[in-house]
Amino acid sequence: MALKEERVIVIDPGKCAGCHSCEMACAMKHFGVCHPYYSRIRIQEFRNVNTFVPITCQACEDAACIKVCPMNARIRLGSGAVVTDEDKCIGCRACVYACPFGAPVIHPDTGKTMSCDLCMDDELGPWCVKACTMQQALKFVDVRDAARAKGRDFAAMLKEQHEPPHQEETEFSFSFSVE
Amino acid sequence: MHGWKGRRLRLDLTNRTYEIEQLSVDYFKKWIGGRGFNSDVVYHETRQGMDPLDPDNPLCFGSGPLSGTFAPLSGRTTVSCRSPMTCSNMDTAIHGHGDTNMGGAFGPFMKYAGYDQIIVKGKADKPVWVFIDDGKISFRDASHLWGLGAKKATIKIQEELGDPDVKVSMIGPAGENLVRYACVLNNFSSSGGRTGMGCVMGSKNLKAIAVRGTKPITIARPEEFAKLAWALREKIHNSPSAIRRRAEGSMDLFDVGNAIGINAHRNVSTGFMPGIEEAYGGMQWAEQFLFRRKACWSCPVACGRYTLIKEGKYAGFSCGGPEMESLCNLGCRIDTYDIAAVNVLCGMVNDLGMDSVSAGAALSWTMEAFEKGYITEQDTGGIRLEWGDTETSMKVIEMIARRQGFGDLLAEGNIRVAEKLGIGQDIVPHCRGLEHISVDPRITMGFSLGYAMSTRGSDHLKNYSCVEFPGCAKSRSYQVEEIFGPEGAKKFWEDFPKELNELDTKPVLCAWSEKNKCVADLVSCCCQAIGSWGGAGTWQEAYYPLLIAATGIDLSPEEVFQSAERVVNIERAHWLRDGSGIQDDTHIDRYFDEGVHDGPFKGMVIDREKWAWAQQEYYKTHGWDELGFITEDKARELKIEDVLPDMECGKKIIRQWLDSDKKAVTPMFVPTGLKK
Repeated sequence: MALKEERVIVIDPGKCAGCHSCEMACAMKHFGVCHPYYSRIRIQEFRNVNTFVPITCQACEDAACIKVCPMNARIRLGSGAVVTDEDKCIGCRACVYACPFGAPVIHPDTGKTMSCDLCMDDELGPWCVKACTMQQALKFVDVRDAARAKGRDFAAMLKEQHEPPHQEETEFSFSFSVE
Repeated sequence: MHGWKGRRLRLDLTNRTYEIEQLSVDYFKKWIGGRGFNSDVVYHETRQGMDPLDPDNPLCFGSGPLSGTFAPLSGRTTVSCRSPMTCSNMDTAIHGHGDTNMGGAFGPFMKYAGYDQIIVKGKADKPVWVFIDDGKISFRDASHLWGLGAKKATIKIQEELGDPDVKVSMIGPAGENLVRYACVLNNFSSSGGRTGMGCVMGSKNLKAIAVRGTKPITIARPEEFAKLAWALREKIHNSPSAIRRRAEGSMDLFDVGNAIGINAHRNVSTGFMPGIEEAYGGMQWAEQFLFRRKACWSCPVACGRYTLIKEGKYAGFSCGGPEMESLCNLGCRIDTYDIAAVNVLCGMVNDLGMDSVSAGAALSWTMEAFEKGYITEQDTGGIRLEWGDTETSMKVIEMIARRQGFGDLLAEGNIRVAEKLGIGQDIVPHCRGLEHISVDPRITMGFSLGYAMSTRGSDHLKNYSCVEFPGCAKSRSYQVEEIFGPEGAKKFWEDFPKELNELDTKPVLCAWSEKNKCVADLVSCCCQAIGSWGGAGTWQEAYYPLLIAATGIDLSPEEVFQSAERVVNIERAHWLRDGSGIQDDTHIDRYFDEGVHDGPFKGMVIDREKWAWAQQEYYKTHGWDELGFITEDKARELKIEDVLPDMECGKKIIRQWLDSDKKAVTPMFVPTGLKK
C-alpha cells in the first residue's frame, strides 16, 4: 500500500501561550468576522495554571463523525480533511458527541456543525498555523512526520534523564568550507 | 457599524440599574476609542475639586476599534477615572486624571458583548459583582468573594457561572481596603496597575465585572483587513526585536538599562545597580523560572511570563508575571539580588491587587528613610526595613494590602506618608504624587521630561520617547524627520549620537511621542510594538490602515493624530482645571542637587536653567501658554472649547498658590521668580 501524502495540523499545548490568534485567523478566513465562536479551532483555557490546549479536527483515519452522521453530511475532502456538508447537515450534533476531541463546533448562526478544512484553497496554508508562527504550538506537517517528530521529542526528553550529570563539554571545531 | 460596536454601557451601582447609550459616528471620529472615550467621559463627568472616592466618579473601561479583532497586539483595555493616587504638589487633596492600560482579554470580550465602553458610577450598599452576559446585566452578591485574592475570586466566579471562558476584571484585597495604588486585574494576572483604579472600584463596593460576549465584530472591508493584518503579523514574526521579546520577555531591557546606568536602584537614588543584567536578565530569568509564556488577546509575541520556582526556599511557588517593571521595582529598587524572592513579591502584589511600582516605592522609601534615620521602629510599630530585606518586605506588602499597622500608612502612597509623618519629603521620587518607574530621571532626559509632563503623574507610558536612545533612533531613523521636521532632522543626525542627558531635542521629541503613544491607546493596540521594541514600524504603517479597513470610515492620518492630541489635551485640562500646571511639571530638588552615585553617568544631575527652558519649549510645541495652560486657539483647533472656562478657574488657583507663601508638599524645583 502506498504511503499517504497528507498533511495534518499537529498541536503542542506546551507551547501555546493562549493568545487566540489562531481563532481570530480562522474566523477571519472563513467568515470575515472576529469572534472565537466563528472559529473551527478552539483554545481551551486553564488560565489559572496558564495552560492552554488548542482543539481542532484531527482528520482521523477512521473518523467516528463520518460513521455516526445520519445524513452522510460529514465528508472527507481530497486533502484528507473531514468537513460538514452544510446542505445536508441537519444540525443534530451527533458528530460532536461522537468525536473523542469535541472538535466539530457549532456555527452560532446556522446551528450546523463545522470543522477544519485545512484552508486547502489558500496559498498561505492553514491560517491558524500561520498565525502561530512565533509560538509554534501549531504545525502543519506530513502525516508521517507527525509521528516521527513526536517520537523524537519524547526520545530527547528521555535522553536528558539518562544523560550523565555534570558532563564536561568538549569543544570540537569543524570546517565545512569547500575551498 | 463596523469595527466599533456603537454602544456604551452605563452601570449605576447605587440603584443597581443600567443604561445603554448609542454612540454616533461623529463621536467615534472625534475620540476614536479606548483611552479617547475614557478621557472624554472622565473630564466631562467629574468636577473641579471632586473627591476621587465620590460615588459619582466614573470608572471607565474602554476598548478601541481594533480591540478583539484579527489585528495583532489588539488585546489592550484602558481603565480611567479621577485618580485617588495622583495629586498636585501644592496640596495632596487636589487630584487629577488617572488611567491605566491593561493587557489580557477584557476589552475584546466587552466588544463581543456589544459595548465599546463600560462606565461604572454610584456605590453599592454592600459588595457586588456584575455579570454582563451580552445584553443581560445582573448585579450579584459578592460577600463570599470579598477578601479573596485575584486568582481565587476569578476561579469562584467562573465556577459559579460554569464557564471557564468568562473574562473577569476585578480587584484584590488591596482594592477593597482602598489602598490608593490598588490595581484592576483581568485574566488572573494582567493588571492595570498605575494610578489606583482598583481603589476607586473598591470604593464603589464592586469586586468584579465578568463578561461573556457571543457576538462577532464585523469588519468593513474584511479581505483588505485580513491582508493588512497578515502583513503586520508577518513583520512582527520576522522582527528580531519581537523574537527577542518573546524569548526574554520585557526583561530584555535590563541589560540596555544597566549599560546606560538608568535602572531605579535604591529608591531611584543611585541610578546604577552593578551586575543587574546577570541577576535580572531575560535569558537568566527564563532559564530559572519560566513555566510558560502568557499572551494578551491576539498577540503573536507573548511577552508575558508565568513563573514556576523550581528550587530553593520558595520551590513550588507559581504565579502570572512578572514583567520588567515589577521585577525592577520590587527588586532592583529595594536593592536585592534574590530573584526568587522578588518573583514571590511580584506574585503577592498581583494577587493582592496592587501596583507593583508604587508598592515597590513604598518599600524602598521606607528603607531609605530608615537608612537616613528619618524614621525608627517607633514609627513603624516595630518593623525595620533594611535594603534588600525581602522577607520583611513580604510581610509589609501583606500589611499594606490589609491596611494593618504601619501598612495602613504606606497604603496612602509615598507623598502622603511623608506628609503625614512630616519627614522624608525630599526622598519621595514622584511627579504629581505618582512614584517614578524604573528609569532614573537624571540621565535620559526624554523620559525625565515625560515623567513631569505626563497626564497621569510620573510614568513613561504617556510620553514614550524611546527615540532618545541612540539604538532606537538608528533602527527607527525613518521617524526622525517626522518628529523634528527636515531641518531639525538634519541637525539631529549631525550631532548624533547626542548625550542622553541633553535637553535640546527632548521637548519636541516628548510632545510627538506623547501623541504617538496615544494613537496605540486609541485603537487599543500595544504601544510596545511601535515604541520600545518597535517591530511593527510606525503607527501610520501599522495601525492606521487597519483602523480604516476595519471601520470603513473616512479619516486621514492627520485627523487621527489630531485626535491623539485632543486626548492628551483633555487629560491635561483635567489637571489644569484643578490648578496643577507648571509647578507640577518638574522634579523634586534631589534630582537637581544630588548626582548619580555610580555607573557611566556618575555625578549627573538635571540642570535647573535647562529644565526651565525645556518646560517652556515643551509648552510652545503644544501651543500652550507659559504656565502650561491650554490656549484659546489650541482649544478651538481641537474642538474642545468647553475647557476654556475651566482654564480660567485653574489659573486662579495656581496664581493664588504661586503668590502665597504656602509651601509645596515636597521640595520641588519651580522656575525662578514664579513662586513667592
